[in-house]
Amino acid sequence: MNYERADLLDKLAAEYVLGTLAGPARRRFERLMRTSPGAAKAVVVWQRRLIPLARSLPDAMPPERVWRGIERRLDEPMHAARPRRRWWDVLLPVATLALGVLLGVALMQQLPRPPVPSPVERSILPESYVGVLTDASGQAALLAGSRRHGKELFVKMLKPLDPPSGQVAVLWALPAKGAPFVLGVVPAGKKATLTMADTSERLLSQVSRLAVSFEAGMPGPGVSPGQFVLQGHCVKLW
Amino acid sequence: MRLFPVALRILNQRELAEEVLQESFVSIWRHASSYNPVLSQPLTWLTNIARNRALDALRSTQYRSGMVSLDDESGAVALEVADDRPEPLELLNQAEDRLRLSECLKGLEPQQRRSVALAFYDGLTHAELAQALDAPLGTVKAWVRRGLEKLKRCMEK
Repeated sequence: MNYERADLLDKLAAEYVLGTLAGPARRRFERLMRTSPGAAKAVVVWQRRLIPLARSLPDAMPPERVWRGIERRLDEPMHAARPRRRWWDVLLPVATLALGVLLGVALMQQLPRPPVPSPVERSILPESYVGVLTDASGQAALLAGSRRHGKELFVKMLKPLDPPSGQVAVLWALPAKGAPFVLGVVPAGKKATLTMADTSERLLSQVSRLAVSFEAGMPGPGVSPGQFVLQGHCVKLW
Repeated sequence: MRLFPVALRILNQRELAEEVLQESFVSIWRHASSYNPVLSQPLTWLTNIARNRALDALRSTQYRSGMVSLDDESGAVALEVADDRPEPLELLNQAEDRLRLSECLKGLEPQQRRSVALAFYDGLTHAELAQALDAPLGTVKAWVRRGLEKLKRCMEK
């Protein structure tokens, strides 16, 4: 079979993403995806078309033990034999890190990465603070992230913000204790880099949540935020 | 957070869906560098990883033999197992309301729509679709193929 024929690749990619490409043919196509840019591209295009169908599935929250299991597995060496189904025995309740993996992965791609990959798996993601903000309907709308010792805050919009005319979108840090303070104004557009007043380690180490409100301008020191249009957790990713 | 519902829907078994979710997260962590933000939305990429893992788990022999025997008349098809989950077609219709592909899905023939819905939401293969829809394998393959082609043509407009 001539896999490089674009129309054939496209048909296979469609059935792969839909799931009807099964058995050995599925495995073969997965191998092909790793070597053929054409196949990989076709798959991404079909994912874009079909995966949004999953949005109509009823929501379901995984139980706490899943996060604990993920945490434990990430600590295992990559090729170690994985003990089967022992994860519900694990007691250590640290969910934020694992949650951060999901929320942070996409974002991390835009952060500068060390040029040489380290054999330590954890180093794939640099030490960072990551926030994911959702809108009133619970949909992820904004990702924010910053290297631990950096002053730059990377912001990615998953949805347009659209502040009312004459207003700006202001990103706030909400410390666990104390008053909210301004991190910066989020400019229009899909991506932005804000420069913060200090390193994220100094600014965000006690911050548990981030939020966005629409304000008439950059709020001065001590000014309270208006109503938040987006809110979300801020997690440490290391 | 959409990964768990995807795994749960395909596998229809909480414990296994939890297992798949964990594997997905670990895989995401380890393959983060393969994500290309230019090509795909983060949630699409993440959802797809979980969905693929769920499909693999669904089709693994251990699971099949334990859960549904396709040779067994009484268990003819996984989707006939009585439950109160929404029908795949119902989900497809709901998706239509929200998504840009709405007009395009409407353009599919009824059997094409049904095949696409069963394959996407419940992870049915061609052979299982043939059984579920009581149609010859070749016919079912054509329904899927033409449904996807139509969707593509429409979405490219």
